[in-house]
Amino acid sequence: MSTRVFEKWYREDRLPHIFCTGCGNGTVMNCAIKAVDTMQWEIDDTIFISGIGCSSRAPGYITTDSLHTTHGRALTFATGVKMANPDLNVVVFTGDGDLSAIGGNHFIHACRRNIDMTVICMNNMIYGMTGGQGSPCTPVGKISTTTPYGATEPTFDLAGLAVAAGANHVARWTSYHTKELTKAIETGLSTEGLSFIEAMVQCPTAYGRRNKLRTVTDMVEWMRTHSILLQKARRMEAEGKSIPEDFFTVGEFIHRQRPAMGVKR
Amino acid sequence: MKLKIDEQRCKGCNLCTTVCPYNIFQEGRKLNERGIIVPILDRPQRCTNCRLRHLYGRQLCGACQMICPDQAIYWVEEDPYSEESVVIEF
Repeated sequence: MSTRVFEKWYREDRLPHIFCTGCGNGTVMNCAIKAVDTMQWEIDDTIFISGIGCSSRAPGYITTDSLHTTHGRALTFATGVKMANPDLNVVVFTGDGDLSAIGGNHFIHACRRNIDMTVICMNNMIYGMTGGQGSPCTPVGKISTTTPYGATEPTFDLAGLAVAAGANHVARWTSYHTKELTKAIETGLSTEGLSFIEAMVQCPTAYGRRNKLRTVTDMVEWMRTHSILLQKARRMEAEGKSIPEDFFTVGEFIHRQRPAMGVKR
Repeated sequence: MKLKIDEQRCKGCNLCTTVCPYNIFQEGRKLNERGIIVPILDRPQRCTNCRLRHLYGRQLCGACQMICPDQAIYWVEEDPYSEESVVIEF
């Protein structure tokens, strides 16, 4: 007997996947599958939906039914699936370019309607698949192919957006924090209404290569040292200290019970 | 139990070398037939999951398996007379 990771859930004949060396998407997939496995959902009752992008290749490696849809429209398809059959458990994999740039409007309205699904956003801070263009989540001063002198625009705080738009469970972790990420996804899956988990992932090929984080371990180390717990950030804010630049907060942003749509009663 | 790296899946990102609390994974030196430098295992019998899984009856630690983006790390049951024996500490 060998103990592979969740043999039941992976399409073994499709592995190894096409993600680059050290891409964090594989880690987030592990965490999501572990959470789904802990929830004891059946393969036939679960559906993974994705848009276009690196992260959206993920459902192709999972044995459940899946939809690989048009760019930015993963949430609209997910809404349709949930409305057509509320018995299904819907999980959406999406990336930062997919969710925040082209699918931004769908995202805020999915949060507003509070549809019963789990959205896992793998935020690699760049458009990885198309060759490293700057996305709305590229931090200020970082270099991409469309921002060769450093990005100048402020970034999109996706977790904050989800809180403001009305999602029921919002959390942000990185692919280094696998235990916490798994727990956050698990809480998200068991929460009624839209739960949004933002997973910061490393992208050494498109992002790290241009920003002096060439090796995978460098980039993971950067995420580890530049993440700051939400409680600590709030405490620092209360004390009047400012959070240093290019730090991002991690933790559970909100957990509430707004009325949800698509729940069978 | 015995720790294994699937050489058909590993892409040589060396993430496992950063997370293992015992530093069992070390950066490799040799290319394998796929042209990838797979990490080498330094005294894998120290692994917590290898030693204590049967005693506790559940998965222990497993940080390397969770962070491995290529799903390449796994454990196998050991034959009773294999060369690398596992020392069980109680």
